[in-house]
Amino acid sequence: MRRRRFLSGVGAASVGGLAGCLGFELQSGDSVRGEPDMVEDRPDAAYMPTHVEGMAVAGTQSSGAYDCALTYTYPHRFWQVTGTHTSMTEVTEGDTVHLMPVVWHRETGIVPPDVNPGFEVSLEGGSVVSRSPWSMLSQRMGFHFGDNVVLPGENTYDVTVSVGEPSAMRTGSLADAGPAEFEFEFTFPRSELETVSYRDIPADEEGTRGAVDPMNMEMVPTTQLVEPDALPGTVRGTAKSGDATLAVTTLDDATPFGGDESETYLAVSARTPYNRYPLPMMSLSGTLVRGGETVFDDSLTTALDADLGTHYGAPVPGVESGDELTLSVDAPPQVARHEGYETAFLSMPAATLTL
Amino acid sequence: MTGTDFPVRLVLGPMTAPPDAADARGVSRRAFLKSAVAIGGSAALAACLDRESVDVPRGPEAPGAAGYPARQHAWNDVLARDDAGNAVQPRHHVLLLLDYGPDGEPTDADRTEMEEAFRSLERAYERSHEGLLLTASYAPAYFERFGDSLPSSVDVPDPEALAPFEDPDLDTPDALVHLASDHAKVVLGAEEALRGETDERNGVSVRALPDALSVSERRTGFVGAGLPADNQDVIGVPDSEPVPEDSPLYMGFKSGFEGNQASEDRVTIGEGPFAPGTTVHLSKIRLNLTQWYEQDDRYQREAKMFCPHHAKNDTVEGVGENLGTDTGMDDCEAPEESARNDGVVGHSQKMAAVREDDGPLILRRDFDSTDDGEAGLHFLSLQSSVSAFVETREAMNGSDISEDSAVGQRTNNGILQYMNVKRRGNYLMPPRSLRALPPAAPGEN
Repeated sequence: MRRRRFLSGVGAASVGGLAGCLGFELQSGDSVRGEPDMVEDRPDAAYMPTHVEGMAVAGTQSSGAYDCALTYTYPHRFWQVTGTHTSMTEVTEGDTVHLMPVVWHRETGIVPPDVNPGFEVSLEGGSVVSRSPWSMLSQRMGFHFGDNVVLPGENTYDVTVSVGEPSAMRTGSLADAGPAEFEFEFTFPRSELETVSYRDIPADEEGTRGAVDPMNMEMVPTTQLVEPDALPGTVRGTAKSGDATLAVTTLDDATPFGGDESETYLAVSARTPYNRYPLPMMSLSGTLVRGGETVFDDSLTTALDADLGTHYGAPVPGVESGDELTLSVDAPPQVARHEGYETAFLSMPAATLTL
Repeated sequence: MTGTDFPVRLVLGPMTAPPDAADARGVSRRAFLKSAVAIGGSAALAACLDRESVDVPRGPEAPGAAGYPARQHAWNDVLARDDAGNAVQPRHHVLLLLDYGPDGEPTDADRTEMEEAFRSLERAYERSHEGLLLTASYAPAYFERFGDSLPSSVDVPDPEALAPFEDPDLDTPDALVHLASDHAKVVLGAEEALRGETDERNGVSVRALPDALSVSERRTGFVGAGLPADNQDVIGVPDSEPVPEDSPLYMGFKSGFEGNQASEDRVTIGEGPFAPGTTVHLSKIRLNLTQWYEQDDRYQREAKMFCPHHAKNDTVEGVGENLGTDTGMDDCEAPEESARNDGVVGHSQKMAAVREDDGPLILRRDFDSTDDGEAGLHFLSLQSSVSAFVETREAMNGSDISEDSAVGQRTNNGILQYMNVKRRGNYLMPPRSLRALPPAAPGEN
């Protein structure tokens, strides 16, 4: 049986969905404290994690075309992805908080993956932490940026979050969004963090295929995408690869996406199973074959659109019923993973669907 | 001129205690010397003189044009070489950003006084890594005082942000003086001389810069095995002291391989009145190495610094001494290919794509820093035109690559995630004959 370091010596008060969980006694001597041991046999798919955490909002601010919420939760383990190589970041001694500057485009509610927020935490004018946090995917928060940070004690910090110019294809008002900067005051007494909810997942559920439900975040938009059949255009079907869902739709006019009127826009909405979170930062290619002849064979690039959300796409010469589309994942999503996603969306074979 | 004090720096290093006390606290000799350069001032110099017992060779008694190259940037023939034959940068550096106070064109008296100050340092110290290497450069803002504009053979625009995700402050001093030596006491001594704090160095009478020149900012740093490890107690490096003892730079790998550096010929301005000068881009970069050392593993560091091929094949041993004279980029795929297929593109890999006639466009003379108590990098590069730097930096941004691949704006995009450009400045480094307050159009009058 797994040893539950997290709960050891804390007693029943920490079990269940209690706020004020005393289990996160950050000053205990155990350097790898704070989280239960990993599930031993994890499927190569989204799975139920050992536990889930809530998050707290230190404040929200507006700047330019964006809103930003400075959110935080307990420090926790996550996995960075480089190609198909992953490395686990464990909570280390001194990690104070998992800090997440959530920046979204105000008009569309999209959390853009193509601007990497930076944050700087200062105390009395002196910089304490400066960081470009990782892009991340978690089952409760969806797509966001975050990192574990070490803060020197309980203080009121000034936090500056900044984003630069976008780097992906964007349509409409998304394309007009320029750099933005947000200033927060972040009061961090440990007792505040300890009011963040924590819920243990029952032993018979953890490690099984599935995902916990998205968090109900009042002040922060969910990054959930619409159901595939609610996508704009002519929805052509879905394919699966590495537990990801690849939903395909085509739009008659490719003009807003860098093509022209005579072209069709081929869009692939890549999302997690269950929670429909976008899977950004993937190298995706498409091959469109009609009657044995290849009519399109190229990369599908990241694009942001109010209706399609974050997706991959390319203008193609046209799509006809019966065309065969092969989607190839040249590199899986290079987004860091929270527990429950770290084994999914890594080994992603090509998928073919008939349109 | 008036010396500028930096009392706040005194709390940052072991110089708060006398040398003996520093010893008692286990501060190594190298750490002590570096800290002294960061602190600056006569107390730091005095302590340094006590500690660095090495004799520094003097220069010639009459350092005229003869025996000195026309190019101020001709350092390579007087730098040390490592076992592989790569030029090794001097270990200690001081950059002085200077303002010329009076309005209008500089006076001939000030020019003479500045040149005299430089020549006195050349008498005091041999022109080499063992002695002193010295350059003077001028910002576009300086040349605005002249009726003439800079000739078209010179490409030194005002500095600007060079990445969609950066927002640097732009440096607009008039001049930049770079002092470099393997010995801390030499860069400190030369600085004290220029500031007029001393009239004798290394047994030679020295002269100050003219009163019209004042130091608006002082930046310091170091490069070379041991120094980053000895100076890792700064914001931006985690407390686990992860910097390898033998690394010349904070990020744990060596740089400046011969095959990845432009030659001095290539970076030299070829024509016009400022030939054979060069241009300088100087940025102040803050390093955030917690993720680099505590979250990334060796595979990821190697892939991001070099290329995925090197990571997969364990090509780089330790800090990279085994690489010889180049980073082995011939073995790596094109950056776009790696980005598409490996989801990551290496820093060297992106840089290797910027070549002309099979050579890089810029000559790096950068060094690490503890200025402001933060792990930093003063990225000083030389190129024949600033546009060559801009082109190189654009390749480093990898914007096109990230648009069409799994590589993010910063994530897995070389080392962009770990650095933040705080300041940028551009300068013209005139030939030696024009190093003291040059006119914008030499030879016109």
